[in-house]
Amino acid sequence: MTLLEVKSVTKEFVTRGEGAMARKSAFTAVDDVSFEVELGETLAIVGESGSGKSTTARIAARLLEPTTGSVVFDGQDVTKARGKDLAAFRNNVQVVFQDPFSSLNPRYTVERIVTAPLTYQGITPKGGRRAFTQELMERVGLNPDHCRRYPAQFSGGQAQRIGIARALAVNPKLVICDEAVSALDVSIQAQVLELLMRLQRESGFSYVFIAHDLAVVRQISQRVAVMSRGRIVESGSRDQVFGDPQDEYTKTLLAAVPRINPEWDARRRQKEAG
Amino acid sequence: MSAALFVVDNLTVTLPTSSGPVDVVKNVSFTVDRDETVGIVGESGSGKSMTALAVLGLLPRGARTSGSVKLDGAELLGRSDRELRSVRGNAISMVFQDPLSSLNPYYTVGLQISEMYRTHRGGSRTAARKVAIEALERVHIPDAARRVDHYPHQFSGGMRQRVMIAMALCCSPSLLIADEPTTALDVTVQAQILELLAELQATTGAGLMFITHDLAVISSIARRVLVMRSGDPVEYGTAEQVFSDPRHEYTRMLLDAVPRIDDEVAS
Repeated sequence: MTLLEVKSVTKEFVTRGEGAMARKSAFTAVDDVSFEVELGETLAIVGESGSGKSTTARIAARLLEPTTGSVVFDGQDVTKARGKDLAAFRNNVQVVFQDPFSSLNPRYTVERIVTAPLTYQGITPKGGRRAFTQELMERVGLNPDHCRRYPAQFSGGQAQRIGIARALAVNPKLVICDEAVSALDVSIQAQVLELLMRLQRESGFSYVFIAHDLAVVRQISQRVAVMSRGRIVESGSRDQVFGDPQDEYTKTLLAAVPRINPEWDARRRQKEAG
Repeated sequence: MSAALFVVDNLTVTLPTSSGPVDVVKNVSFTVDRDETVGIVGESGSGKSMTALAVLGLLPRGARTSGSVKLDGAELLGRSDRELRSVRGNAISMVFQDPLSSLNPYYTVGLQISEMYRTHRGGSRTAARKVAIEALERVHIPDAARRVDHYPHQFSGGMRQRVMIAMALCCSPSLLIADEPTTALDVTVQAQILELLAELQATTGAGLMFITHDLAVISSIARRVLVMRSGDPVEYGTAEQVFSDPRHEYTRMLLDAVPRIDDEVAS
């Protein structure tokens, strides 16, 4: 079942040129981008800085309105959704951002942060906020006794888990992760990736996973779209894009990824395996 | 055979905190030879950057150090700020992660490189300008004679990092310390900067101390590796030994955590 359809989306930003007599000019950040996400799958959008991948994510999350094109969720055109329709959309689509500390209110307790998506809709969870929060904290691997703590009392990896718990509070069908693991240390990153994959297996929702790190993308996605200068230059199954890239830019990108010396790596693994 | 170019012996750095003094670097020892790249790798809070700052006497106020840091046999620890100033940028140079915050936005890159050169070597403005242009050419900035008069914001991230490297090398240091120099860069640009550093090292013969959190980057550039964790030196050896036969559980865990791009993955 197709969950999300992004159809020919273009986003222009108006910029002011330099100098006193400057004229306004338009910068096309996303240029005629289309993709679909099936229920339960992970689509990764990968690209370097300025490729338009985050703008695309924001449009898909309805945090930005596209200049032209449309966003269809569950068969409903939500491009111009307002009020009730938009609230219904937000109930189904949640976002996890890169920097947990700037996306979590420092003056709110975990309990208030995690239940905020429900509070805004006037819902009180069954069994009360405390129990609801503690159950979610347990699901994302946090100590439920810490539900009255503030974001600053957690490490980066733990704070990102709070962001994930908040996203899951409304039981979404789609979670958009915008560089959700890029700010984390490699050992923490591996744990959070593991968590994201486990939650998907448990609940069957979809991910749109925005990242610049190809190795991470390869771990988590089933399908991959490569963006460069506002356009999708190549898309396909993960194994197709990584194993047999067609586009020149994709090839350059893959070749540039630093690798642990494969010979040393193989020797170590052999030793450790047996 | 003379001693190694750069010898760090039993370096300990203690910072004052509200809950008492904390050792952020504990008994760290390593050496860097001429022509050699030594990688220091660790996660955040491992003390890898503090080690670099201690070497240059750039630690925050109230920090205490013990042990020994010798460049060409001369002790650097405990020297006065004045004495160290003639070392920094001259015999030892440093390249940081974020070139935009290490460059002054109000001055052209040429002026900033010239200033650095004249501080240590003196000479006329005209001569220093020539040095700046040559330095920019060495790091392969196209059209260096024109670019020398541009401001930092007129360069892309990768080009700005080239400017920083040009500045670091203009006094022909014997040791270059690079602290996460490619971390803020896109992967294609990172590859170019790593290639440039390797090329410049081959031509200048300088020792390179390369600090990063990225094991894959270390594997491609360093001959010897020091792994650090919460201030402790965990493992120190040749890159081949550390990557193919790590002795320490933490190193193994770290290596296992790195996502691989060429691995078979379950669908």
